[in-house]
Amino acid sequence: MTDDTTLQALLARVALQDRAALHDLYKVTAGRLLTVSFRILNDRGAAEDVLQDTFITVWTRAAQFPALRTSPLAWLTSIARNRAIDVVRKRKPETPLSWQDDEGNDHQHDVADGSGSPLDQLLTRQADGRLGDCLNQLDAEPRAALKLAYFDGLTHEQLAVRIGRPLGTVKAWVRRSLLRLKDCMGEMA
Amino acid sequence: MKLERHPELLDRLAAEYALGTMHGGARRRFEAQMRQQAAIAQAVARWDARLSPMAAQLPEMAPGDAMWSRIEQRAFGAAGVAGVAAPAARAATRAAPRAAPSGARSWWQRIFAPLPAGALAFGLMLGVAVPTGFELLQAERYEAQLPESYVGVLAIADGRQGLIVSSLRRGKALDLKVIRAVPIPAGSVAVLWTIDAQGVPQAVGPLPALPAGSFVSVPLPQVADELFARAVELGVSVEAAGSLPAQPSMPFVYRGLCGKLWKVPPAR
Repeated sequence: MTDDTTLQALLARVALQDRAALHDLYKVTAGRLLTVSFRILNDRGAAEDVLQDTFITVWTRAAQFPALRTSPLAWLTSIARNRAIDVVRKRKPETPLSWQDDEGNDHQHDVADGSGSPLDQLLTRQADGRLGDCLNQLDAEPRAALKLAYFDGLTHEQLAVRIGRPLGTVKAWVRRSLLRLKDCMGEMA
Repeated sequence: MKLERHPELLDRLAAEYALGTMHGGARRRFEAQMRQQAAIAQAVARWDARLSPMAAQLPEMAPGDAMWSRIEQRAFGAAGVAGVAAPAARAATRAAPRAAPSGARSWWQRIFAPLPAGALAFGLMLGVAVPTGFELLQAERYEAQLPESYVGVLAIADGRQGLIVSSLRRGKALDLKVIRAVPIPAGSVAVLWTIDAQGVPQAVGPLPALPAGSFVSVPLPQVADELFARAVELGVSVEAAGSLPAQPSMPFVYRGLCGKLWKVPPAR
């Protein structure tokens, strides 16, 4: 993966409306951002729409990036993730998990993504370094809840259903886990 | 409320937003405030940087060949040869429908309005100097730890793997990964069964359509532990739609061991 300095330089050129820089940025980050969107949406077409929106947003808002004092990839990832989360949350009421037809028969619908499952967690490589170490210090269930929320864009309520724990418990896990992560990783600039 | 005056609350909300658990009206209100208050955007950016190494570990996908052309067309205009300012303005309108009205410029527009080049250079200097979450990617990996789960790898009639079934032990969702699809005739439905040590099947419920390669999740009527605790095997049969017989009406089309992935205390 391209290093931060290169990405920062590309974003600086994009902020000055350099079209070639946007294309270069696309070439080195589009795959990663598509993956993040797809993980949440489980729909390649929708994920590619999000990818388009992400680069349009980058084209129009690159000038605000430096003031955030963050890493370029974290910023790009957050744009893609948040757009995907918006899309999946708008879509969900239109695709109920289960419903009853006129004859009273129960039906179940495929849902957006089965990720976060034990199988997927096994297959998915884990985060690295400090974050990985800090995640490992959390208890197993809160850690799993945190990963489900991040990877699949689940709300507290969806998490509670997914892991079969009371909503209050899940909220407390998430809140405490985030605090512990922050303490563990140390203050970032 | 000016969140900047409540740093602890600001940090907590920023963390929930970055993680993705904030939703509905709270999420929209937070985004609206973020556009106006730099401290909120920076707090969220710090959390994005902390959490983003997780996303960086997903296996990377390749965008379609036509993707860049579509972005180019939207960003630069249909012809792609017009001046930058006008297409960029049009793109901004499309990409930011919820942007602040012109009278209420967002914090970053106010910051950069007087000295765009200087501010950009200053920001870049800060950006290079600060440590970032992305650097974490270079550190050592740690081992995956599987949560307590039920996992079944079910075979089709000729013994080849056909279906992977999994659920968190105390979860109420069942994940299904189809390796080899079995045709389900019209008017029929696949039904999942547990099979206990005595070989007695118990219906769990009907499954959705399972095309090859699909990865679907279905809700369970009860916590997985209540459904699968006594199961030594899992099976899938094809039954008439709308019926749920006490016994499978035909041989299982998928069948395999039901694994319980957690440490079992040694027998005394």
